Amino acid sequence: MKRLMHVLAAAALIAPLAPPMAAAKPVAPVTAGPSHAVTNDILDAVAEELNRAMTDLEIPGAPKPYHVAYKITEVEVNDAVASLGYTTSKKERHFVSIEARVRVGGVDFDNGNFVVAQADGIDGAASVNLPLEATPRMARRAAWLVTDAAYKEALMQLRAKLDSRKAGGVGMSSVPSWTTQPALVSEDPIDVPVNETAAQLATRAEAVSKVLRDYDFLRESRVAATSFIERRWYVTSEGTSATDTRRVSGVIVVAAAQADDGQDLTQYFMRYGHTGRDLPTDDELKAEAKNLAETLKALRTAPLIEQYSGPILFEGEGAAGMVRNTLAPHLGGTPLPEGLRPQEAKQFGGALTKKVGLRVMTPTLSITDDPTMTDAAGKAMIGGYHLDDEGVPGQKVEVVKSGFLKQLLTSRTPSRKGAVSNGHARRTAGGGVFHGSATNLFLSGKGGVPRKALEQKLIAEARAEGLPYGLIVRSFDDAAVTAAPEFTRRELVQLISNADVDLPPPVSVAYRLFPNGKLELVRGVQLTQVPIRAWKDVIGVGNTPTVYNYLAPTDSYLEQKVQGFQSDGFVPSGGIESAIVTPDLLFKELDVVDNTTGQHPLPLIAPPDQK
Amino acid sequence: MRRTSRAWLAAAALAACGHGSSSKTPSGPPVPLPPAAPPPLVLPDIPTTIATKAIEPMTDDTPAERSALLDIMSGENARWMKTLSAQPDPGYYLAYQITDQRLVVMEAEGGALVTDSDETDRNLDVEVRVGAPELDNSHQLSDDNGLNAPLSRHGAVPIGDDKGAIARHIWVETDRRYREAVQALAYVRQDQSTLKKRTTAPDFASAPKEVYIGKVAKLEFDKAAWVARLKRCSERAYKGVVTRGTCRAEFSLNTMYMVNSEGSQIQQSWTNAQLSVSVGVKTDDGMNLNRLEQRFGVTPADLPADADDKMIEVATKDLEALHEAPLGDPYVGPAILEGRAAGVFFHEVFGHRIEGHRQKDETSGQTFSSYIGKQIMPEWLSVYDDPTIAVLNGIQVNGFYRFDDEGVRARHVPLVDNGKLVGFEMGRNPIDGFPTSNGHGRRQPGLEPVSRQGNLVVTASKSVEQKDLEKLLIDEIKKQGRPYGMVFTDISGGFTNTSAFAPQAFKVNPVMAYRIYPDGRRELVRGVDIGGTPLVALQSIRAASRTIETFNGVCGAESGWVPVSASAPSLLLEKLETEKAFTPPDRPPVLAPPSIRAQAVGGSR
Repeated sequence: MKRLMHVLAAAALIAPLAPPMAAAKPVAPVTAGPSHAVTNDILDAVAEELNRAMTDLEIPGAPKPYHVAYKITEVEVNDAVASLGYTTSKKERHFVSIEARVRVGGVDFDNGNFVVAQADGIDGAASVNLPLEATPRMARRAAWLVTDAAYKEALMQLRAKLDSRKAGGVGMSSVPSWTTQPALVSEDPIDVPVNETAAQLATRAEAVSKVLRDYDFLRESRVAATSFIERRWYVTSEGTSATDTRRVSGVIVVAAAQADDGQDLTQYFMRYGHTGRDLPTDDELKAEAKNLAETLKALRTAPLIEQYSGPILFEGEGAAGMVRNTLAPHLGGTPLPEGLRPQEAKQFGGALTKKVGLRVMTPTLSITDDPTMTDAAGKAMIGGYHLDDEGVPGQKVEVVKSGFLKQLLTSRTPSRKGAVSNGHARRTAGGGVFHGSATNLFLSGKGGVPRKALEQKLIAEARAEGLPYGLIVRSFDDAAVTAAPEFTRRELVQLISNADVDLPPPVSVAYRLFPNGKLELVRGVQLTQVPIRAWKDVIGVGNTPTVYNYLAPTDSYLEQKVQGFQSDGFVPSGGIESAIVTPDLLFKELDVVDNTTGQHPLPLIAPPDQK
Repeated sequence: MRRTSRAWLAAAALAACGHGSSSKTPSGPPVPLPPAAPPPLVLPDIPTTIATKAIEPMTDDTPAERSALLDIMSGENARWMKTLSAQPDPGYYLAYQITDQRLVVMEAEGGALVTDSDETDRNLDVEVRVGAPELDNSHQLSDDNGLNAPLSRHGAVPIGDDKGAIARHIWVETDRRYREAVQALAYVRQDQSTLKKRTTAPDFASAPKEVYIGKVAKLEFDKAAWVARLKRCSERAYKGVVTRGTCRAEFSLNTMYMVNSEGSQIQQSWTNAQLSVSVGVKTDDGMNLNRLEQRFGVTPADLPADADDKMIEVATKDLEALHEAPLGDPYVGPAILEGRAAGVFFHEVFGHRIEGHRQKDETSGQTFSSYIGKQIMPEWLSVYDDPTIAVLNGIQVNGFYRFDDEGVRARHVPLVDNGKLVGFEMGRNPIDGFPTSNGHGRRQPGLEPVSRQGNLVVTASKSVEQKDLEKLLIDEIKKQGRPYGMVFTDISGGFTNTSAFAPQAFKVNPVMAYRIYPDGRRELVRGVDIGGTPLVALQSIRAASRTIETFNGVCGAESGWVPVSASAPSLLLEKLETEKAFTPPDRPPVLAPPSIRAQAVGGSR
């Protein structure tokens, strides 16, 4: 298919059209097939508009665009939620949108990566919905409008950036604003398995949620299931015309109870995979739901932890949570936008940006990030892709080798001259550029030992510190999943005012391990701020990896906690698909304080019979 | 920080305006201020023409259709009340409302489907009153910061009627709401202990027990036919200057189950259908122009099959005219608000200010609190609100309901009788002199009900034919020595500020505003809003037409969006003020548009 595109001369051969669908026997569709909303005609129409923009778009006296990129996204998402055996919400949704990103100036200095004061929406990007069925004339019109809007924003952003530089205080003037990228043509549609229908998801959610009827002490419980396909197309003025498709299924079990002293307690079980086949079976989910209820039952009478400073062993999802919350946010190498509010900047970590070449972890630890992987240890990983959000092919990156930081995860916004993207553009901040972010993150350690041995080492370390026990963490809270409407308006406001945003999320499952081998469940475990240097004191690793998939939210933990109650579906299907593979991790010394938030009076009457 | 409360009305979507840096016709010299008001006009004693079909709330009571949900809800209500009423902070009233809503939205643009959704939700609202009717948790704090208000949230409830599952969710939500109410009452008591001046009216009015079982409605439509119709419609909507054209159908099926501790048990179910044609264009000076035509019905079948072309014709013709129209100037002088526009005008300028709770709200301007029994508009004008009206002058009206969201029977409420203020729209929040509800407590699921309008109707005991009204306008223009008067034929919506913190002003957004010159010539202008203050505006009404027209729409305020209608004759006002409309800064696209016609871009596509 001929694509009329500016600067296309240098482009590689255009890939042939996808082969027609087999027209033999009618069989039940097992794959989603090609998009009906975004066809080659649509891409041609957008490309025509791109040509026009690169040739003619100019406001007298102002610079012309030097780079225009379109991302067309089609999402089909089915969700269902059930509680106590019955559906509470069931939805099938379908969206198509086109986003234009326009850059003015030049590679060395352009409008990008700058937050306009009091107007952080001015970022050189604009988007609008497209029809759900291919209609080239409407696509072309949409491309025309978003390009125009993005161009005008880009000019305003550039003006503000220039003024800011004149005012001083900017220390990155020698770093280019952007990097060039060779044209990429990869137009063959990527077929993925068809979504599970909302009805199928509801059936599963109902079946699993029903088992929680047996637990009278639960205040609330729900099972949510989601299935989505995200197709993306990139058309840029560099000659890139490429497509990628992602397919994810997920299931979540959440239950809440109240401790005997009134503290709100929430537990969750969460799994994501490429399709429903990667998820636990219904029977396995039912067993997990029961486990979760039993944990809550035990937590109701579990003691609150007192202050603790000493070794902590992070097991399974606890280790993954530690990587997710205290390490992964720091692996991005994209410079933060000028003018970004400090509070927002914290979400992007940044503790490692000036430590490339230095030792940042225990010498036995190494980290790679590999978006090209689809599974590990026999389990699906959802963080991968062919193309990142800037249309750059994902690449495997060796981030830390034997404790030394080799390189960070980058996007097309460079941190120094000569830097290039390694295909990790995933997440945007104010200012509109994509930041390098973790995808499929692999943490490995030399000399891994079985969990039992690590537990013995934990006890030995605790003894050496004169502590009566060591602490084991098995999971962290995830506000995208657990945010519950237990707070009043006043309490929520208070929560926002009092919260320390530097803390990792509260621990949801933790045990004291005593020298005699006794495990005691404890409540209210909250790690204090975990500095990046804590990763230099990992004194033991396990020998069995945990594969942990999650949707990294774009909001902070606190924002989700406060906003979560407004969700009508309680199905997290938004966020950045991510995966972590890690062994158990034993840290030499971390600090813990007791978390006593969420104390409420016990209900005045017993719950009604729900069996 | 003080809260600014505003209420607004919209016919599905408010018109957005662009920036107008220059007009096609240069602005003339400033219009001189008018001389003193002339004497009242002599009008014939012929009343406005109005025929209504009301449905009494209890009609079609079908106990055999009773849902098991009501028993589940009543059981849990009784179980909780037994304990709550014995608490140190006693719960004295408890209400549950479960609302099932299926919402179908189909929208096409340029011949292609852009929205296709069909979603069903069930929401649980729990209202707990703690303390006593004289003073409870809902009492407004003297320095209200909104923190005492119940949290707005979606109460998840399983779909179906499984007793165990549903009772369990009601139980937990009641526990949360009681806890919330007890906390709020503590702040109320503390606040009261420091106040010298206290409100004398109680916080809550009891209401008679109501038991009504309505049959669950069905939403029936041929989806494929509707999709095809909307596609055809949206393709045809791209006419003339139009650069954005959508046709949209929105159908809903609503079933509300309510029980309260007074013994009321109500099940009511209804459908709504709405068809819209929306067209838009950006003018050469960058102003966004939009024109919306809508039809409402109870069921999809009520939407006339031949409506599309008529709606397109009106919308595109008006848009074409607006596109060529000059910008209007600020103006003060005589004006006619034609039927639908007069309805919206009354809804904003008057209707929101006679919502009962606003007379009590210390932060509200309480415009009409002290006007009961006093003349606030000409003696030949009367106003009432009647949610029991289903059809008015042959048009299905949007504000029909049988019972409000507080379990009170809807009823006809006289508001102005022969020019004198006689009543307020009341929910269950009493005010001095109005101790009970008259069935106007309304809300969008998830929010707290307050008194709201239903079907607002303005009638006149003296009226003239429409053509004579225009003659009277021209007479008035000449009398006042004005270069022209104004005629407003359509208003897209507006808002009114009722907070005492800000001026008691209103603003409505006319879509079709004409200058009318002494020689009878009309000239369409764009980019003006009508502004002013309510008491002055109402006292400025000089004449009414014989014909009443109806505006159907949805109204948004602190208790969310509710369907309403406003019916009124065309009105001649001695003085009305227009001001330049807000137009966000913008400029038209740099490049000429690519063709959006079906025959372009390759012809066959």
